[in-house]
Amino acid sequence: MEDQALENKSYIHLPEGVEIALTPVGLVARSYAYMIDFAIRAIIITLLSLFFGLLGAVGEGLALITFFVVSWGYNIYFEARSGQTPGKKRLNIRVVQDNGLPASFSQIVVRNLLRPADMLPFGYFFGLLVMAFNERFKRIGDWAAGTIIVYDEAFLERPILPSGISEVPTLVFTTQEQLAILTYAERSNTLSSERRIELAAILSQVMNCDNNQSEIKLLNYARYFSGHVTNNSAESHDKASV
Amino acid sequence: MKQNQFVNNSDKQWNEFEALCKLDDKINLPLHFPKLYRKICNDLAIARTRHYSPMLVERLNRLVHQGQKRLYQTPKNQFREILYLVRNSFPRALYENRLMLAINLVAFFSFALIAFIWVWLDPDAVYTFLGQSTVLEIEKMYDPSGTVQSQERSGGQDVMMFGVYIYNNIGIAFQMFAGGVLFCVGAVFALLFNSFYFGTIAAHIINIGFSGPFFSFVVTHGSFELTAIIVASAAGCQIGYGLLNPGQYTRSYAIKNAAQKALPLIVGAFLMLVLAAFIEAFWSPRDIAYEFKFATGAICWSYVIYRLYKGMRYGT
Repeated sequence: MEDQALENKSYIHLPEGVEIALTPVGLVARSYAYMIDFAIRAIIITLLSLFFGLLGAVGEGLALITFFVVSWGYNIYFEARSGQTPGKKRLNIRVVQDNGLPASFSQIVVRNLLRPADMLPFGYFFGLLVMAFNERFKRIGDWAAGTIIVYDEAFLERPILPSGISEVPTLVFTTQEQLAILTYAERSNTLSSERRIELAAILSQVMNCDNNQSEIKLLNYARYFSGHVTNNSAESHDKASV
Repeated sequence: MKQNQFVNNSDKQWNEFEALCKLDDKINLPLHFPKLYRKICNDLAIARTRHYSPMLVERLNRLVHQGQKRLYQTPKNQFREILYLVRNSFPRALYENRLMLAINLVAFFSFALIAFIWVWLDPDAVYTFLGQSTVLEIEKMYDPSGTVQSQERSGGQDVMMFGVYIYNNIGIAFQMFAGGVLFCVGAVFALLFNSFYFGTIAAHIINIGFSGPFFSFVVTHGSFELTAIIVASAAGCQIGYGLLNPGQYTRSYAIKNAAQKALPLIVGAFLMLVLAAFIEAFWSPRDIAYEFKFATGAICWSYVIYRLYKGMRYGT
């Protein structure tokens, strides 16, 4: 298992002998998706029952059947089609199997039929409780079906760094360390300049420069790691890296 | 090897692979696709151990994820899976879960019998169990001089009741299934509640002498409905039991396994309940001679018992 220190990632062993990283979706994003789906379901049911309301007793029966079909079938239908309900699509999240493959129909049925257990005793209390105590945020239905909710890969593109030159590091950094520097650079415009210098100063001794320089250096390194090579010096310095 | 060199060596293959992954599902992939996929898995492992940049690792990770999705595709026609489930998996599931089913069957009928005998011997006890308004309502429903089972009932009402039965009964069955996950508690509680309720009403109806309308009404759809409720409860218990007693597996594996084992049961129960709702709404309230109704009831019961026996005994 890789170090999970910086990223909320879940590593999955493949039969090919490597691990791939998936990003499980937490409580908040899933709740938003649920609320969107809930609103859509409510609208469908209201409109159809208004229509059926014109048909008297027959309409009442049809309205109940609609209510049943929509409340149980909505999630099953959409998740079986693409792994995404409209709410999940809005938040770029998806149901997949534990091993990252698209979930099968039977798994979708299980995870949705077990919803009432998650809803007990009120407002998804058990589901939230179970989700909060495992690192993949699975609710009871997910445990039984063997599914997880993950972010779509395309959604996880890294933000663009502040522009400038890139510099080839003279030191060797591990991927996790490179990631730390990248994250620092990505967040740098949300930090005050004092805080930026303070954070960068931690590495000034290792990088053998004074505190003010280390901030600039880290940003340059970050641009190099991100692959946005804007400076031709990258090629000539290549020998020094790794 | 330096990262740039590594990327230069393989970039072409990665791009080719990415393009192949994006192809439409219906297009057959070239023969070297699996080989390419293994190569990229290999590249990912190398990139990780050599601590190449996070961007590169991320890119390869994404390629592997896309590739495995493409390579290990699940069959698309999943509604055929449902048909298979009903015809083949349901009887097999009856066999595989026979112990749990037997326990639930015995629990249901013995509990109903206890309630029946109790209320039969002590008619006033019905008010302790059900409350006066419920009892009055039920008495009104099965009153031989009442309007419930007569010509006066319109087709519209039939459809309305069909909706009620679908929404109510199937909802209950699904909730029992889900409740079973909580260490069987939800399923067992709902099962015993329903069996006690059923036993109490049956005894009370006999006590007040409305047995004709009542039994002729419930006999036909009861065959499918009661059995389906028991099957749903057994399915829920199977999952809960997997959690309680995982045996040699981890709990997370045991619950997954039990859920897949129990799934055909709940799907079967669902279809039985749809059938039951149909009978209950359109056949049971017809105002025809009791003999007819008891005859169809007997046919349905024998069919259900025969299928249940065959399923639990041989899995066919």
